Amino acid sequence: MRVVKDVVCPFCGCLCDDLELEIEGREVKAVRNACAVGEAKFLHYGKHERTRPMIRKNGELVEVSLDEAIRKAAEILAEAKYPVLFGWSSTSCEAVRVGLQLAEEVGAIIDHCSSVCHGPSVLAIQEVGLAGFTLGQSRHRFDLIIYWGSNPLDSHFRHFERYSTFSEGRFRPSISRRSITQFLSTLAERRIKRVTRRLLIKEREEGFYFGARRAPSGPFKERDRKLIVVDVRRTRAAKMADFFLQVKPNTDYEIIQALRMLIRDMELDVDEVAGIPVEVLEELADILVNAKVGVLYFGVGLTMSKGKHRNIEAAISLVRDLNARAKFHILPMRGHYNVTGADVVITWTTGYPYAVDLTQGYPRYNPGETSTIDVLLRDDCDAFLCIASDPVAHFPRRAVENMLKHPLIAIDPVVSATTLVADVVIPSAFSGIEVGGTAYRMDHVPITLKKVFEPPEGYLPDEEILKRILAEVRRIKGKAAEALVPAGA
Amino acid sequence: MAVLLIKNGYVYDPINGVDGERMDIAVKDGKIVEDVDEREARVIDASGMVVMPGGVDIHAHIAGAEVNAGRLLRPEDHVKDVEPRTAITRAGVGYSIPSTFTTGYRYTRMGYTTVMNPSMPPLEARHTHEELSDTPIIDKASYPLLGDSWFVLEFLSKDMIEECAAFVAWMMWATRGYAIKIVNPGGLETWGFGGNVRDLNDEVPHFGITPREIVRGLCKVNKLLNLPHTIHVHTNNLGVPGNCETTLKTLMCVEDLAEDGERAIHITHCQFSAFLGDDWATMESGAPLIARYMNRHSHATIDMGQVIFTDTTTMTADGPFQYGLHLLSGNKWINHDVETETSSGIVPFRYRRTSRVHATQWCIAQELALLIEDPWKIYLTTDHPNGGPFTSYPRIVSWLMSVKAREEELKRMNRRAVKRSVLPTIDREYSLYEIAVITRAGPARALGLENKGHLGVGADADIAVYPLNPEEVDPSRDYKLVRRAFSRAAYTIKSGEIVAKDGEIVKAPDGKTYWVDVKVPEDLWEAVKSEIAEVWEDYYTVRFSNYPLTDHYLKISSPITRQARM
Amino acid sequence: MATITLTPKYSFTVPVYAPCISPDSFAGKTLKEIGELEVWEGNRRKKLKQLFDIKGKTADTPEEITIKLSGNLWKVRRIGEEMTAGKILIDGDAGLHLGVKMRGGTITVKGNADSWLGSQMRGGTIEVMGNAKDYVGGAYRGSGVGMRGGTIIVHGNAGYDVGEWMRGGFIKIMGNVGAYTGVHMQGGTILVQGDSEGRIGALMKGGKIVLMGKIDSILPSFTIQDLKKRTKVEGEAVEGPFYVFIGDLTEDGSGKLFISKKSNPHLSFYERLI
Repeated sequence: MRVVKDVVCPFCGCLCDDLELEIEGREVKAVRNACAVGEAKFLHYGKHERTRPMIRKNGELVEVSLDEAIRKAAEILAEAKYPVLFGWSSTSCEAVRVGLQLAEEVGAIIDHCSSVCHGPSVLAIQEVGLAGFTLGQSRHRFDLIIYWGSNPLDSHFRHFERYSTFSEGRFRPSISRRSITQFLSTLAERRIKRVTRRLLIKEREEGFYFGARRAPSGPFKERDRKLIVVDVRRTRAAKMADFFLQVKPNTDYEIIQALRMLIRDMELDVDEVAGIPVEVLEELADILVNAKVGVLYFGVGLTMSKGKHRNIEAAISLVRDLNARAKFHILPMRGHYNVTGADVVITWTTGYPYAVDLTQGYPRYNPGETSTIDVLLRDDCDAFLCIASDPVAHFPRRAVENMLKHPLIAIDPVVSATTLVADVVIPSAFSGIEVGGTAYRMDHVPITLKKVFEPPEGYLPDEEILKRILAEVRRIKGKAAEALVPAGA
Repeated sequence: MAVLLIKNGYVYDPINGVDGERMDIAVKDGKIVEDVDEREARVIDASGMVVMPGGVDIHAHIAGAEVNAGRLLRPEDHVKDVEPRTAITRAGVGYSIPSTFTTGYRYTRMGYTTVMNPSMPPLEARHTHEELSDTPIIDKASYPLLGDSWFVLEFLSKDMIEECAAFVAWMMWATRGYAIKIVNPGGLETWGFGGNVRDLNDEVPHFGITPREIVRGLCKVNKLLNLPHTIHVHTNNLGVPGNCETTLKTLMCVEDLAEDGERAIHITHCQFSAFLGDDWATMESGAPLIARYMNRHSHATIDMGQVIFTDTTTMTADGPFQYGLHLLSGNKWINHDVETETSSGIVPFRYRRTSRVHATQWCIAQELALLIEDPWKIYLTTDHPNGGPFTSYPRIVSWLMSVKAREEELKRMNRRAVKRSVLPTIDREYSLYEIAVITRAGPARALGLENKGHLGVGADADIAVYPLNPEEVDPSRDYKLVRRAFSRAAYTIKSGEIVAKDGEIVKAPDGKTYWVDVKVPEDLWEAVKSEIAEVWEDYYTVRFSNYPLTDHYLKISSPITRQARM
Repeated sequence: MATITLTPKYSFTVPVYAPCISPDSFAGKTLKEIGELEVWEGNRRKKLKQLFDIKGKTADTPEEITIKLSGNLWKVRRIGEEMTAGKILIDGDAGLHLGVKMRGGTITVKGNADSWLGSQMRGGTIEVMGNAKDYVGGAYRGSGVGMRGGTIIVHGNAGYDVGEWMRGGFIKIMGNVGAYTGVHMQGGTILVQGDSEGRIGALMKGGKIVLMGKIDSILPSFTIQDLKKRTKVEGEAVEGPFYVFIGDLTEDGSGKLFISKKSNPHLSFYERLI
């Protein structure tokens, strides 16, 4: 048995790098420090159904040699007039770098999962900027933490513990790990209290909002770090919050704008905003302006509700305005472990973070025109390469229908909805388990992924596969160019 | 490796005292050699052309977290300036924050072959090096930001200089860094809580240390470690009227640490730190004061930080300054605080001729360059992209070489600014020799890069040939020809290979990345290591073992080994 | 007057970028030279004549030229980019970025127009008989500069972000609009004759938006200023009465919203504040 320390977890944007694995042979026996998903990722790593190199012939996927699958993929790409290379957020930056070369060579659109999650955040940043930070700042300094449209307890499990509410920092020592256990044990008690209180107060509208609890009980008595949650439903995180604001779906924009008015000490013409009484918002605004150092973490609940990038723009502006009164920050809660990395690599190579169109030999960027979903909905592309992602399972139906009209290449370590319907399947090694490389945490901190196992025979790293496809494309294009030159010239 | 013979050029090689002599330069195996067999060599006819060592830029933000955040922020900046791919080059975009490949090509076209990337947050060093390895042709190095690192502050506040030096030496290795960068010392840590320091003697909250102690401490560390460059300082109060005083105090505070003629400090983009006045309404140039100080002392060097009247993107590690700029301009603003180490900010900015402040800034940089008598003390920069993109260097060269060029520019500028400036009274014009000093020989010497910035035997064969005939062209009158010549080198030679010809890239090899490998006494390092390892996980959200980067991140790693003086 | 007719040779399956289809680039060229103009079909560089049948008569100046396009042009983008004079008639639907950065002349579309219609426009007139999608008269990402002059008239409906970052000129939508009409608007006028999906005038700093139809609510960052009987749009009186709002106060803006009183009785509670 061997023990590998400080392993990086290739699951979510938290990119925890303190995992400890106990390994016997090709099997992980125990995982320490990880969250449930991270643990499962390693424990069940060997139990997935792995892909084999395959090509669709006469409507059926037939197993072929890896070289043949790569050759076929290259032929499709070299022939295509408007191919899309999509995926990238669950593979290493090294692979993305080769992907960009491939996109340039074939004249393709390169796009990644930002396009369908935090793309709106990027558009908003391009309008107004972003007051960002690395997560250690959150742990050391922040005394007010807001989660808006994001439930870290169900998506970024260790975010609370490592970086925010429950973390311990140099200037924020009041909450220790000890108090978490204490806190959890008092949770039930608190819930009972809350129910009783609700019955007593008889809130104006059933279950609509909770005001701030001015005298917190239990371990939070001396704590100086507040937690605010804004969401459309009472999530697990909301249950732990000092202040929970339940908003109606698709009304975030109005509420943020109202808050911006209030923190500027301006009066509102209305008594309630999207069903929430102005007094409640005033209470919230009070907490905001009285913070010393605060942060707003937002999730897909904000980026994908009505208004999309306008919501984020408003949220960023709120934080920017708050900087006149306190130090305030904002950060998108990125999902896939290297979606930030894909953003970063594509940006330094092309100047733009996602939805980059290289079909005309130089980078062009206009989400809405060059973003994958829009390209698919307009039925513009004529070939699709998908790497380390499963769009068939997640894209809108009409987009998938259009995608399936044209050749589809899937590069993936395991069988997925996409590999099942693809025309070419190329098996790859697991990034972050069988291949190392670089990934970027949600706050742009680059961390080197650890290789824990050798990949099985015939499973190449994404980087290597792409290099081979690129070489093959160059060979095909070179031949075509030769054919154009008249004999004897 | 190619054998080259560059014949009959007018050679400007200040380090070897060559001032426009017509001579041949021989190249073999990437180095300058005494002589080569003409029959074996590829002969480049440089008659009627200027031959200089490849340009060395001491300070340009070309890669890393903040540069990339700037790229992300500004699609509107890229869309107006694109670089289509060719058979040799990769696609990319400009303008003020070019993509990595484009950066390499554009420097090469101007005859620059070495560029220093001045602000690398140590925690994000991987990012910087990944970008640098995608920046082709040019050699490069990065300065890790160490002025607000908690470990540094703690060691210095306890006066543990040797321990601090051991930590810095480790940081240089862990981040593959080249020099100690200090930005707004103490101010960045204070910015973590939204504050700033205003004076060299202000105390940094929670740390019991002042900016003066940080600068002096790191200056001592720099000396102990025997680093090739001095400390590289972005002063407190940058961009604030009246900061001239802070700058002079900063220069003075390390005077006693320099022994006879040795250099102790480099003040970077000095223009931004040379304002007099109480507020923007009374702001004026402090350049004459700084120039007078520089002329009387030899322990310091500076670079210009020239502003160009254009739309650019400002980015520094100075978070509070950038926030101030955002408030001032109302433009979009990115802030990025890095735990335990530093901060940074980005604001797009347009310098306008009609603005008195901007016009004064333009004058300050020119005054600094023209009033400081010894060109070996001041180097040409725009603090790319803060004052303007690096592609405007040829214009700055033409201004420095021609009173007429400056007058043309002054004519179109804010009158009140021009009236208050001493610039119109200065008739100094740089010679080509002096230009060679401030764009290559000077920076190379300040950086301690022994094989750069000159054409002596054994030097790296990084050479620029400019299509300019100094016998025929009078730079003072034909400044436009000078500008054109420096924009598009006839030949750029990098490590003995022709990489650009007539401003077109003909080959795009990878460049080297320099870093400093300092040997400190083993037992000292072990003691320091156990001390920092103990608190590491409390300070950082990344494990100690996952923090240092591996050589895998450098395409061509080029360590410079130094022995610490301990 | 000279009329040049362009008809697609086949149905395009991938996007075609044809900024050269404009009176300015046709002026002074023979039909043969026009056919040699470069377009992109996906990632292939093509000549205009490979994609279109080109017929008609040419002229020396753009003013004299009328370009008639027919057939399915939904995939053809950037028609009339930076045109300064002359006419373009599109008998059918037009693709993205029609009339982008236009400075003069007229474009008429019989069918619908895709997003970014008249984006960054500075002058001239665009008239769309059908519907338009999002970002009518909008800006490029991050630039903060939308339409600066000229007129856009859409007879049908328009999508989101009409007049995004608009700084001048006039947009008239005769049907309904999506949300965020006049977002970040700095100047100019927008007239909407139909209903709005909401969030009208978000983040506006200046300019004027007139809404004749319904809207659910006004953003909380606007304040009521007045009740006016009528207002003037492009010199013509538009009958009200209108609630007049000022905003967006979160951006220290002084833009004006004219919201029809008749269509929005549920906003009557604002009257107590006047």
